[in-house]
Amino acid sequence: MNRRQLLAAAGASCVAGLLARPAWAQSAANYAVPPRFVRPDIASDEGGLWAMMDREEKSLRRSPLVLRDADLKAYVEGIACRLGADHCADIRVFLVRTPLFNANMAPNGMIQIWTGLLLRMENEAQLAAVIGHEIGHYLQRHSLERLRDIKSKAAFGQVLGLLGLVGAVGQVAVLASAYAYGREHENEADRIGAFLMHQAGYDVAESAKVWENLLQEAQARDGAEPDKSSPLFATHPAPPERRDALEQLAKALPGGTKGSAAYAAHTARFLDEWLQDEVKRGQYAESLVLLTRLIASGTASALASYYRGEAYRLRGGADDQELALADYRTSAADPNPPAQAFRGIGLIARQRGQRAEAAQAFARYLELAPDAPDSAFIKVYISELS
Amino acid sequence: MKKLLALASLLLLTACATVTKVDTGTNTVGERMSISLDSSWNHLDFPGIKPAQVWTMEGVTVDEFLIYAGIREGQAMHPENPSGSKQKDFVFHSSMQAEDIVALFEGVLTRDNSVFKLRKLEPYRFAGKNGFRFEFERIRKIDNVQLRGVGFGAVDGGELFALLYQAPRLAFFPRYQAQVEAIARSASLR
Repeated sequence: MNRRQLLAAAGASCVAGLLARPAWAQSAANYAVPPRFVRPDIASDEGGLWAMMDREEKSLRRSPLVLRDADLKAYVEGIACRLGADHCADIRVFLVRTPLFNANMAPNGMIQIWTGLLLRMENEAQLAAVIGHEIGHYLQRHSLERLRDIKSKAAFGQVLGLLGLVGAVGQVAVLASAYAYGREHENEADRIGAFLMHQAGYDVAESAKVWENLLQEAQARDGAEPDKSSPLFATHPAPPERRDALEQLAKALPGGTKGSAAYAAHTARFLDEWLQDEVKRGQYAESLVLLTRLIASGTASALASYYRGEAYRLRGGADDQELALADYRTSAADPNPPAQAFRGIGLIARQRGQRAEAAQAFARYLELAPDAPDSAFIKVYISELS
Repeated sequence: MKKLLALASLLLLTACATVTKVDTGTNTVGERMSISLDSSWNHLDFPGIKPAQVWTMEGVTVDEFLIYAGIREGQAMHPENPSGSKQKDFVFHSSMQAEDIVALFEGVLTRDNSVFKLRKLEPYRFAGKNGFRFEFERIRKIDNVQLRGVGFGAVDGGELFALLYQAPRLAFFPRYQAQVEAIARSASLR
């Protein structure tokens, strides 16, 4: 249990840190990347921290939630290596199937990136913005600083003295987990992340778009002022301020590529699964913003239209059935339609008593997906409708 | 941290739960549903589980047998989620088709960011009504345990009646699946 707490505490930098205010006046172009880290002495606090992260990593390696796809893993590791340069050999990427926007990097070089984050990235530069920010925390060893800061607080001194080093690290981690990185750390990670992006040839302006997209989802969920209703936003500067600051930094570091085509090519075959996980969350307001954005950008629009239809249908509001049907039809009209779009049409038509259209749609669904898990049920529907 | 809170909540709930033995024979659950048992089960009662009942053979952190004996129109499934986070409630409507009801269960079972995969959905005569049976796999986020599950249900008089059993896939699920299937076959409504 302590290891997990430590991961939460010391897993250097949740991307929620992207929300803090950057110190834009600082020079973003003058960062001196430190040399590769040597494994710290196990007897030191840093050594204890690494050891616990190593154990967490060992556990993560066995997790069934980790994506085992070699191509995608190599692609993301390649981005991390471009950003990390000399530190590449120390960075290990784990892609974790969880439909939330999150990533973190531990002080031993382990990076976790959740699929909900990958789904929300529009291009390689946006993913590089997140990874660069995480590497920024790593290079500055912010998690260790945070632990030491907490340890130095007199109120904890006696507790730590009683526990010994290993216990102390665990207990400090528990305490540390209650605190996010301070604004100074976030500012620094932002600045370093932008520097690394620029050095690697990425368009820094994409980092502001990551934030803007997140903000739109949060507003859909929490209303016009997410900073007043969301604990995450409430502890950080006003969202527009943050977005504007990121844009300013991008102006100081112009140029670079977005890598949209490459990102789409490597992630396309996972979109069905990731979108399915997204809609299952039941956070339809957020999902609809995301799906509408995907449709507008032309990213797998047939699939995105189907899942937006699902989100409408499952939300079940006053006009949602009509909106769902329109999306299903758009999806079904695609030259390469997802089979489920026909099931969606069939379910709505059946509910409305439109027997012929329902039967036709179900038949098409089974034609495209004869081994679908619900095929037995659909056959009964067709039989009833006939 | 979220995982820790969820685990802590689960342990806390387990700690403060009251456990009663459910004897073999015919048992009435809720106002209208009866099921017959060949073995005894443990019935846990703790805050947040209503309107379902949760039974277990091995302990609730291992296997769960959820019994829904009459979910009414507009009623939320497990409205107080244990993690305490701001999550959507999944609400039952009597107009729902089988796919929609299974989606409700999917929503509930992935509210903790677990991964759910539907393996099979088929027609099933449950409690004397035209209903459904489904099989699924789930990777529980909190501890990465891979589970298998089976569910049964039907809507009668505007109310949802359902059973859902899940347990670790290698040993516990196969051990109890036959018992659960027999219980489902024994279900009846007044």
